[in-house]
Amino acid sequence: MSKRVLVVDDDPDVRLFNTTVLEENGYTPLEATNGEEGLEIIRKELPDLVILDVMMPKQSGIRLYRELKTDKALKDIPVIILSGIAEKTFLRSQNALTEFGGEQVPPPQTYIEKPVEPDELASVVKKALG
Amino acid sequence: MEIKKLLFVTKFEELCFDALRSLLGLRQSALDHVVFLTVIERDKVAMHRGAGYRKEEEIRLRERANIRFIDWAENLFVEGMEVGVYIEVGTLVSNVIDAAKDENADLIVIGRSHKGVLETLYSGSDVTELLRRAATPVLVYKHLTESSLVPEKPFERVVLATDWSPASLRAVELLKPLKNVIQEIHVVHVVGDEELTGSNAMEIQKTRKDRRQRLDEVCEIFEAEGITAEPHVYIGDPEEEIEKAARESQATMIVMGSSGKSAFVERWLGSTPQRIAEKSMYPTLLVPPEQA
Repeated sequence: MSKRVLVVDDDPDVRLFNTTVLEENGYTPLEATNGEEGLEIIRKELPDLVILDVMMPKQSGIRLYRELKTDKALKDIPVIILSGIAEKTFLRSQNALTEFGGEQVPPPQTYIEKPVEPDELASVVKKALG
Repeated sequence: MEIKKLLFVTKFEELCFDALRSLLGLRQSALDHVVFLTVIERDKVAMHRGAGYRKEEEIRLRERANIRFIDWAENLFVEGMEVGVYIEVGTLVSNVIDAAKDENADLIVIGRSHKGVLETLYSGSDVTELLRRAATPVLVYKHLTESSLVPEKPFERVVLATDWSPASLRAVELLKPLKNVIQEIHVVHVVGDEELTGSNAMEIQKTRKDRRQRLDEVCEIFEAEGITAEPHVYIGDPEEEIEKAARESQATMIVMGSSGKSAFVERWLGSTPQRIAEKSMYPTLLVPPEQA
């Protein structure tokens, strides 16, 4: 059975691009349009990998990532962040949330600033899934 | 009633990050989530004879907005705030109403309308339309005249104009938790000339005393929360007197309940709160009544 990869992004063009690359490389893509929906699908489907945007309606990837990594049942699911937001900003925001009394979270498996080339995406997905 | 989530509506002309930054004082109360919304007007990308739908133009406008929002969001993310974004194509008011509902926003912030006089006369401005339809409090943000500077702390000195309507009372509930943000509130009631029916000074003084006592009760609510509040009675045209009250108290913002008039009456005659929101030089926050 092929590995299932959840793509969480509010931009339909980005979702189409990512899911096409995943399908062409033999994975089963799942889709969510915002962090809230993403978390629901993660809890229900337990995907093997999550490709996560940061800036989205309802719940950002920053909060979704934190919820994922502080949930015992979900924290081992690898996450690739794919976003226009700089990695430095992402890490600083996680530090700020930790300072507000949150639990410390590890950095994401891979961080890619948009846009990404198909080969690069396929390669990091393969690496993240071992 | 707390302001935790703010929907910031911008066309990048009338409202920019400096305006948002001035509102971040609300973090000292409860604000922890900002949602950006921009709407690309359909006319800009619609079907043109011989050209069809201008998809490339839509992509260009979307990306332009996205780049600005990324820059703004980075500033907020590093402070541990939550940020969301909507870049939509369509009509402004419908998209604002939908996003406010989907996000369960506590406050909508929008700039003053830029429609022309004739356009406004026939179709009403976007701001008026939004004020008419929104179930969420709306802050019509204004820059200080001519200088284009934003008020540094817009919630610092508030004029709360009240007529004790359900919407006015809801405005009190909205301001109550903002002890850390508001320095003083001037609670104002305007007695219309038509209400002064008595022909002698005693009758007029009696009306003033009665309204003043009712204002004292509102002030006591704020004082109990640790917010300094002063009552003021004005006589005359509400639009002019509220503006005068704001000037006299060096207000940074006017807050009012939106009108209790029916939608039909408002559409044709307008309402004092809407006119103030449109015309006043002060940022104006209108609070609608609780929806059934």
